[in-house]
Amino acid sequence: MKLEAMAVMLPEVDGHPNRAPFTGVLTLVDEPSTKPPSGARGHRVILTRAAALTALPSLLGMAVDYAPSWDGHDARRKCGIITHADVEGSRLSVAGYLFAKDFPEVERQMRQCAPGAMGMSWELADAHVEDMRAEVWTLTRATFTGAAILLREKAAYRNTAFELGGTRCRSILPRTAPRESVHAGAPRSLGTRPRVAFPGKDRNEGKETTWNHRQAKTWSR
Amino acid sequence: MESQTGENMVALTETFAQMEARIEAAAALFERAATLFEERGSSMTGEVQKIVAQVETSREVELQRKLDAAEHEIAELRAQVEAQLEARTEPKPEAKSARRTIPASTAQFLAKQGISTLESVEAGALDAALTGLSLEQRIAVKAQLLRAGVVS
Repeated sequence: MKLEAMAVMLPEVDGHPNRAPFTGVLTLVDEPSTKPPSGARGHRVILTRAAALTALPSLLGMAVDYAPSWDGHDARRKCGIITHADVEGSRLSVAGYLFAKDFPEVERQMRQCAPGAMGMSWELADAHVEDMRAEVWTLTRATFTGAAILLREKAAYRNTAFELGGTRCRSILPRTAPRESVHAGAPRSLGTRPRVAFPGKDRNEGKETTWNHRQAKTWSR
Repeated sequence: MESQTGENMVALTETFAQMEARIEAAAALFERAATLFEERGSSMTGEVQKIVAQVETSREVELQRKLDAAEHEIAELRAQVEAQLEARTEPKPEAKSARRTIPASTAQFLAKQGISTLESVEAGALDAALTGLSLEQRIAVKAQLLRAGVVS
C-alpha cells in the first residue's frame, strides 16, 4: 500500500474548548463516483490519483462546512478546518478540527447520528476534464476549495466517511512524531504515520462494513 | 380626410415603435445567446469552474432543465433575429417575386389617394399621393413600401 500525506502543524493547546478533532474519508481516487456530482452535467467523475496528489496542498487549510439539512454544501457555514490529508490506497483521508464551541449543533449531530451515517464531499475549482464527451469524466487537474460534512447518501461518492475523535485533543499529531515530519506540507512515510491521526479507525471498520452492506442494498433497489 | 390620415400616421408611428422595441429585445437576446455560446465553447475545452461532490437535488435538476429550455429558446430567437437582419440588410432580387405585404393602414391610406393596386406604383403618383404628409411621414410610408418590395 502506498501512502502520500501532507499536514499542517498547529500549536498544541491543552483542553481547547473549540477544537474537536475529526477524521474522514473525503473521496476515492481512481474510482468513479457513485452518482454524478453537482456541476458535472450529469456525468460521473473520476479523480485521478495524480490529480489528487497534486491537489493535496490546496486541501490543507481549507474549511469544512455543513448545511443544516445535511444534504450539501454551504460555504458560508464553515465549521472546521482540514489539517491533514492522506492518499492511502484509493482513499483520500482527511483530519482536522471542528469548531465545536461555535457550532455545537454539528458536534451534537455527529454524536447522535447512526455510525457511518455521515460522509464528506469535496468542492473543486478549475477542474480539467480529460474528455468532456466521455460518459465518466476523468479529472486530471483540480484545486480543492473546501469540503462539506453531509449525509453519506447525499455524497456523490458512497464510500466517504466522517467521524469525530473521541476526545478534545490538543493536536492530532503526537508529541513523539519526528520533528521533521510535522512542518507544513511535509510528506510522511507510512512507518512514521501517527496512529492518532485517525483515531478509532480500526474500531470503526466493522461499523463501516455493516454500513456498506446496508447501503449496497439500498442503492441496488 | 386629414384626420384619418393623421390617425393612420399615428398607427404607423406606433407600429414602428413596437418594431423598434422588438428589435431591441431581440438584439439583447442575441447578445445573451452569444455569451452563452462563448461559455459553451470554452466548456468544450475541458475546463470546469466548479464541481461539488454532492448529489444534485431535485431543485438543481429542475433549474438545469429550465436552463436548457431557455438556451433552446434563445437559439430559436437568435435564428429569427438573424433572418430578420438578413431580410433588412440584403434585399435580394428574388424578393420581388415574393409576397408583397404592407401594413393595412398604409394600404388603406394609399387606396384613398387613388393607388389601389400595389403591383406597379409610379413614382409620380406616389409623390402626389403623399403630398399631404409631412416629410417624416412620407419617409415612413416609402420605407414600408420599399420593405414590401413595391418600390425599389
